[in-house]
Amino acid sequence: MKKTLLVLLLACFICLLLSACSLLKQDAASLYKKEAPLEAEIALPASIKANAVAEIKVTLHQNGEEVNNADYVHFEVWKQDGSAERIMEEAEKQGNGVYSIKKILSSDGLYYVKVHASYNDSIIMPQKQFIVGELSEGDLNYLQKNLPKQEENHEHHH
Amino acid sequence: MRKIRVEPATVDKQTQDQKKKQAALYKAIWRWHFYAGIIFAPFLIILAITGSVYLFKPQIEQMLYQDFYEVKQQKERIAPSEQLDIVTNHYAGAEVTSYRPGEQATRSSEVNITYQTESLTVFIDPYNGSILGELNSNNRVMDLIEEIHGELMAGTTGDRIVELAACWAIVLIVTGIYLWFPQKKRSFAGTLIPRYTKGSRVLRRDLHAVPAFWVTGGLLFLILTGLPWSGFWGTNFQALVTNTGEGYPPSVWVGAAPTSNIKTKDIAEVPWAAETLDVPKSKLEGFIPVSIDDIVEIAEREGMHPSYSVIFPSSKEGVYTLSAFPPKAKDEATIHIDQYTGAVLADYRYDNYGLIGKIVAVGITLHKGTELGFLNQLVSLLICLGTLLVAFTGVYMWWKRKPNTGLGAPKAPKIKNMKPLLFLLIILGILFPLVGLSLIFVWLIDWLIIQRMPKAKRFLNA
Repeated sequence: MKKTLLVLLLACFICLLLSACSLLKQDAASLYKKEAPLEAEIALPASIKANAVAEIKVTLHQNGEEVNNADYVHFEVWKQDGSAERIMEEAEKQGNGVYSIKKILSSDGLYYVKVHASYNDSIIMPQKQFIVGELSEGDLNYLQKNLPKQEENHEHHH
Repeated sequence: MRKIRVEPATVDKQTQDQKKKQAALYKAIWRWHFYAGIIFAPFLIILAITGSVYLFKPQIEQMLYQDFYEVKQQKERIAPSEQLDIVTNHYAGAEVTSYRPGEQATRSSEVNITYQTESLTVFIDPYNGSILGELNSNNRVMDLIEEIHGELMAGTTGDRIVELAACWAIVLIVTGIYLWFPQKKRSFAGTLIPRYTKGSRVLRRDLHAVPAFWVTGGLLFLILTGLPWSGFWGTNFQALVTNTGEGYPPSVWVGAAPTSNIKTKDIAEVPWAAETLDVPKSKLEGFIPVSIDDIVEIAEREGMHPSYSVIFPSSKEGVYTLSAFPPKAKDEATIHIDQYTGAVLADYRYDNYGLIGKIVAVGITLHKGTELGFLNQLVSLLICLGTLLVAFTGVYMWWKRKPNTGLGAPKAPKIKNMKPLLFLLIILGILFPLVGLSLIFVWLIDWLIIQRMPKAKRFLNA
């Protein structure tokens, strides 16, 4: 009787141990279908003044390598209060994975830039919020009321 | 010469011993079947009843929520972001947890929100933006049924009890087949068809054993397809299988979703104060999440099954998850999207599951009765009804022959002499650790209490 008990105890203990060890491996995802997402760093000048030229750059990487021949890289810039025209422009290729546009923004306020890029089956649309000059009271209210979100965009870019 | 005379006698004694042994084994197995049956019959009955109802969830919900589901198709749909605005304006302070665009042109869209600690589903007409109604997750009948079926409405404890009942049902099936198997001559009567003319006791036995045989395959199938989503055995099983590369990819069942590639310091912060800017200007600059409209566009581009939901990121590092678990397993898809760049970080379809993952996935849709449509529901319902019949007749036949004193359990032989049974229990105890644990528990109770209390010993026939 005691022996049986011991054997069973042992068996179950081993089981519990096994199940504790079986917690998912960190790299389990590498055993399944993998994606190669484009990664983007969007660089803006430290401070942007109205009516001055500002260069907006994006650096693209995929699988840790610079992407120099993206299918397309477009920049879309708009102002939160809708007072500036929302334009989509093609970026200029700079090499080393960098694409950029030069932009003159005519008034202070809260702005957004959205980069549309595609390469090797990965399509991305990262967007950044930035400030030209000073924020208006309207901008502040907007930021406090809403979690950052963009205005709606119904045009298609490709 | 002498030898010849002696031999028949030894053979006789051997067969007698053999017979005695067999009778003892039969009794021991019966005893285990008896106790397991008495203890777990109530749970199996609950599972069979709730399961029968839950099978028809699609039809029942369609009937219950018709007014919330159906909309009149028009030319233009309102953008998803506007639909969310309508909901968050109506429920001030609500946090959106998921959005379901609706699989047909005449189907409303659903927005799941957390509103004042309640979890609500809000139904919206995607053409005119009117709110059709709301359902509190706590009040959804089918959710309640599911909660009983999955965890007896008792959280983790309930989940373990259901799992234990399911595992012990396997013990019942295995011991039951042994008891059902004809001892002397093989005959259809009493095995495949009940014997109606051999007296009420035989009939009661046959009304239990014969349907049990017919339902066994189906019941075993429901147990084995149900176990992979149980909390203890299921989670560990899934993790083990996922680790081998043959299961579900991580995050479909076990494991975390990938996280955003954007560093936290590059994300725009939100000022909280009402009047003054309490966050440095530079911190307001940074990445912001892509809108739900982009996400829906990505879903269409990637060819999600139209019944998909968008699950919103729950943290700054989180991802948008597109999730579709439609009636047929082959249409399943889980896609994780970086909330700041819209990049597809992981895209898992049924075809990307490993072999065991595929089997488990089809098992689950068969278990739910959706894989093969109405026929599937019907067959599963028959299995549930059969299980109910077997559980009830099992208890009934005990009730009819129960003595006035004691439980009427078959006598307990020494388990040490029952190698096959012991072996079976140990194997099951290893395959299903909860069974093993419960066995240890039973042994401890028996050893420490029952064997030392003559009254209990007599009552339980231990």
